[in-house]
Amino acid sequence: MADQRKSWRDRGLMLATLPVSALMLFFFLVPLGLTAALSFQSTKYYRVVWSWDTGTWIDVFTHGHYWSIMLQTITMALACVALCIIISLPVAYALVNRMRSVENHVKVLIVFAFLTDAVLKTFGWVLFLDRTGVMNGMLETIGFGPAATDILFNPGATLLGMVYNLLPYTIFTIYLSLARIDRDLVLAAYDAGASRLRTFWEVTLPLSRPGVIAGGVLVFVLSLGVFLESKVMGGGTSPMAAELIRQTFETRVNWPLGAALTLVVIAIGVLTLGGAGALFLHLNSRKGTA
Amino acid sequence: MKKLMNGMAGMGVDRRTVLKGGTAAAATAAFGGGFGMRPASAATSMRYMCWEGYDKESIIGPFEKANDAELSIDLITDSAGGFAKLAAGGYRDFDVVSSDSPWIARMGPAGICEYLDDEEFADAYASFYPQFRAPFAPLQFEGKATGLPTRWGWVGPTVNTKFDKLETWSSYDPCFDPAYKDKICVLDWGDWPIMPMALHAGINPYKELDDAELKEIRKVLRALFKNTRALVGDLSVAQKGLMDGSFRALIGGGTYCTSALRKDGNDHIMSIVPEPKDGLNQGIIWMEATGVLKGTDNPDLAKDLVRHMVSPEVSVDLAWTEATCNLVPSQDAEDLFSDEQKSVLQMDYMWEAWDKSQFHDIAPNVDEMLAIFQEELAAAN
Repeated sequence: MADQRKSWRDRGLMLATLPVSALMLFFFLVPLGLTAALSFQSTKYYRVVWSWDTGTWIDVFTHGHYWSIMLQTITMALACVALCIIISLPVAYALVNRMRSVENHVKVLIVFAFLTDAVLKTFGWVLFLDRTGVMNGMLETIGFGPAATDILFNPGATLLGMVYNLLPYTIFTIYLSLARIDRDLVLAAYDAGASRLRTFWEVTLPLSRPGVIAGGVLVFVLSLGVFLESKVMGGGTSPMAAELIRQTFETRVNWPLGAALTLVVIAIGVLTLGGAGALFLHLNSRKGTA
Repeated sequence: MKKLMNGMAGMGVDRRTVLKGGTAAAATAAFGGGFGMRPASAATSMRYMCWEGYDKESIIGPFEKANDAELSIDLITDSAGGFAKLAAGGYRDFDVVSSDSPWIARMGPAGICEYLDDEEFADAYASFYPQFRAPFAPLQFEGKATGLPTRWGWVGPTVNTKFDKLETWSSYDPCFDPAYKDKICVLDWGDWPIMPMALHAGINPYKELDDAELKEIRKVLRALFKNTRALVGDLSVAQKGLMDGSFRALIGGGTYCTSALRKDGNDHIMSIVPEPKDGLNQGIIWMEATGVLKGTDNPDLAKDLVRHMVSPEVSVDLAWTEATCNLVPSQDAEDLFSDEQKSVLQMDYMWEAWDKSQFHDIAPNVDEMLAIFQEELAAAN
């Protein structure tokens, strides 16, 4: 089948996407521009002073703790991406290849979990994992002492909450990639004498790469903005970027600083997207030349 | 942009006006037999920015009925944020505000709130405890009042006496005791946990601080975070931990965290004020106040709402809300509380707490202290 994709320069296509593009321009770029403008102002007695100076940015670049929180956020986001992919790959693979009869039921269950409010799920985890929570209660009844586990209020608990809330993104993107793989390619590998593991490694996994990258990017970008998990499950003692921004806007009422920190997080997200896009193009070009 | 906003403000186009116009339009539609529109139910519309509890139907309803008015409520979740919203021009959209007293006090000089004549509220002041009567210094600026006090309480360690004796918390020392490692809950409520720690370090945070004093505050916060199990913004999580003993004390809360638990029969949960240290009171008195916003279209009705909020009957209702229970400045209201309510509110202890406390105000160095808090928290893990 001939490739019928249109160039983005196509006038008809440009016209058709004009309303959405205009909306995006207005509701995304204009607020972004205002945020950038705000970052060059200062505050006095909790009020923004339109001073047009770089004081806020100097503050951002000279205070190490902002960057240690950013680094912690990136580390947590990368760990979350890795865990989500590691968990999602076998789940998605099983959905496509091993659980055909219950595939739809499992998908519905995942969608239900996905659509359940994150606040509810996060507080549910607190009730479950607390020292006096459901899990320790169950452990106590089977012979472990009281408060056998102490999982809450540390970075590990934050990561657990992040992975739990963001897992559906990687499951579904990887699932879609796996579902599109031509079954004949897998059978051809078997015919050529490849083991199941080798077939997975050399055929299935490379072909599922778009889903892995798309899911990874989605989870990474969303991870940069999580605050509920670090605040509720992590106990707030290892703050992440979103919580830092909230504190700066709400508690310190320093809107220019909050705006600058917001732009830093957006820059990290954009650079990640750019990097992932470049990686994807590079891999595709290698595939093309192979 | 700024010009455009100023222009709109100059034209009097704000939400208050739009609401008023909406009421008129609804009235017209109802009169003309318009379908699908709610007929105007009140002659006057007002907008009220307040904390949770002030919006109770049993408080607002009678006022609306008595004055043929309709109140639109906008709840605030933090005082600084509420102030910032009003200061950014939002005051044109509101008529009355109830918030923490230092912010209300600041609204007068900032041109956000109208000054109130104490004489006009003489009856209300006469019903207050002597400590709150006019001229009430914390809400005065150059001899003029910005608002009237409506609720109050104290900040000190909140303790579960099933696990700890109250005497243990006659100072903040357990916060730094290795025996309490991983057992302290710090409330993530802006400067509230910082101020008691500064006082413990022998520094009065409500005066201008020098670098050495800020360094001391940094040290005490660093030590606090070593023992901190969680920094909690959600009251229910803090209360749950306190009840089951996983948190041995809540720092930065006080009566605001205690009363709802005591209302449910948990008399063993108490908020106390540590003993004065080196002549420095260790407790903090917090207070909420209600003021009238600048340029309100209904100044008389707005003042009536302030009077309504501090009347003895409403004071009792305001003291006793679902989320929290708090003290009120109305002495006349005291007789209207039941013995159980008095016990829940720790009324037998209130003047002792008052005597051992500082009055909460906006600290001159609050932003530096908040930045230090952020820095030490980031460094703690």
